[in-house]
Amino acid sequence: MTQGESLSINNDRAKTFGLLAVVAFGLITAALLASWIDAKRPSADPNVVDEGLYLKAQTARRLSLSFNGLAADWYWMRSLQYVGGKIVNMREDVVFDNLEQLNLKLLPSLLDTATTLDPEFFQPYEYAAAVLPAVNVNEAIRIVQKGSAANPSEWRLYQHLGYLYWQKQDYKSAAEAYGNGAQIPGAPQWMEAMKARMLADGGSRSTAREIYVRMYEQSSDNNIRTMARHHVFQIDAADQMEVLQKVLSEFQPRNGRCISGWKELQSELRTLRMPIDSTGAPIDPSGTPYVLGTNCQVQLSPSSGVPAR
Amino acid sequence: MLGRILAIAHNTFREAVRDRVLYNLVLFVLLLTGAAIFIGELSGGQERKIIVDLGLSAMLLFGVFIAIFVGVGLVYKEIERRTVYSIFSKPVGRGEFIVGKYLGLCLTLLVNVIVMGAGVSLALVYVSRGWDPMIPRIWPAVLLIYVELMILTGVTLLFSSFSSPALSALLTFFVFIIGHFSADLKSLASSMGSVGARWLFTGLYYLVPNLSNYSFITPAAHGRAPEPAFVLAAMLYALIYITVILAAATLVFSKRNFK
Repeated sequence: MTQGESLSINNDRAKTFGLLAVVAFGLITAALLASWIDAKRPSADPNVVDEGLYLKAQTARRLSLSFNGLAADWYWMRSLQYVGGKIVNMREDVVFDNLEQLNLKLLPSLLDTATTLDPEFFQPYEYAAAVLPAVNVNEAIRIVQKGSAANPSEWRLYQHLGYLYWQKQDYKSAAEAYGNGAQIPGAPQWMEAMKARMLADGGSRSTAREIYVRMYEQSSDNNIRTMARHHVFQIDAADQMEVLQKVLSEFQPRNGRCISGWKELQSELRTLRMPIDSTGAPIDPSGTPYVLGTNCQVQLSPSSGVPAR
Repeated sequence: MLGRILAIAHNTFREAVRDRVLYNLVLFVLLLTGAAIFIGELSGGQERKIIVDLGLSAMLLFGVFIAIFVGVGLVYKEIERRTVYSIFSKPVGRGEFIVGKYLGLCLTLLVNVIVMGAGVSLALVYVSRGWDPMIPRIWPAVLLIYVELMILTGVTLLFSSFSSPALSALLTFFVFIIGHFSADLKSLASSMGSVGARWLFTGLYYLVPNLSNYSFITPAAHGRAPEPAFVLAAMLYALIYITVILAAATLVFSKRNFK
């Protein structure tokens, strides 16, 4: 190899290393700068976050060509991100079925567009039934009714419709919805029973429990299942607390004082088949012992898994 | 005649698979399908639907790109390189040339569609941790996508037989868009007041291929397969339409003077 060739190879190597260094240095600098800009970026304008959709649902469907399913997925994920983003920004404990404080005014349009683009997409209907009542129950009913018209063989949409009417305390319409769903082949027998229950006993706690138990059994969405379970816990805890309060109020006049500990009620609790822990304290549906408050009132423990409201 | 057509088709296929653009497009679709697995995690338990929607939509969109961008060059390149003279100096008819080119690109698209369909199926196997009953149900939708691409390839070839590549690409893309608005064309025709306008839109409805017949991506994402009779009818419609397009392309191409 001549000296000139060797010099040329060395020059090439130096050039390659130089360019690689520029690439590496440039990428690191860009990453650092991006994180600095992120930190300095002003928080999103809530008016922009809640800005109405540019496209109406029908227009979006028309413009989506063959890609309506994909567009529906996008609107669906946008709905989840929209609600999730609001919950994250709230920085407080938010109950999934009571999102009033989040001001989710864009959610009905997002879910409506997702279901117009793909009328067979079941998840947005279920989400509308569970989340929308806090925002606009009539809009929730309209979306779920649209779903049952587009999917006449889907009895679960009638279950959701019944639930929405029940929340509005419109037990007649709720019974009608459960009854219509019960007519669909493959619908479980309890749909017919729910119809009768709505007509006879729509406002009772046991009906509420039945609704949430069925919702928990049927839903594939973890958020909705958690919400339904919390409601069942609340209802069961309310029943248990009523029983415990009754036992306590019987003890007090008999002994002239409130109980000093749950052990004093062991035989009564056993007779009532109340679940108790190793210390003899009755436990709530989440497995946390109840506590005694002032004036001999039974209360949920602050660490209980049963939501307070 | 068949031998000559097949020879041209074979050469077209070989030429197309040497094109790096083709590999990049297929690779991009496979990457998108892979990305769908992660995107699906944001969908609240709808991973399988997202994979099928995104995978098949990418297959259709990039298939259209391949049909258009590879298709517009098929005839034009032969004329530009003047290789068309050496082909026609042999006993090859212009119709045989057009049909051969068409079949070559259709074969290329078939291989691509199968690779992309396998990618979507593998993504479903991955998220389901094994066999997914949705897999056999997406293939009829894949078949219909392929038939739609066959129609668009024919349209591309027709336009490129008489116009420049850029204009052919643009016109074919318009046909793709209008073809998906067929139902609107029909309803527009029926709602028109003047008889002339009604005839114009009715004529357009029947002239432009009705590509909405091949849109089965969304039902496939719900695990629904089309009826076999529907698939057969759609394929027969495509066959007739492609025959018409290729006949028209041959007619136009036969009139062209290369001297």
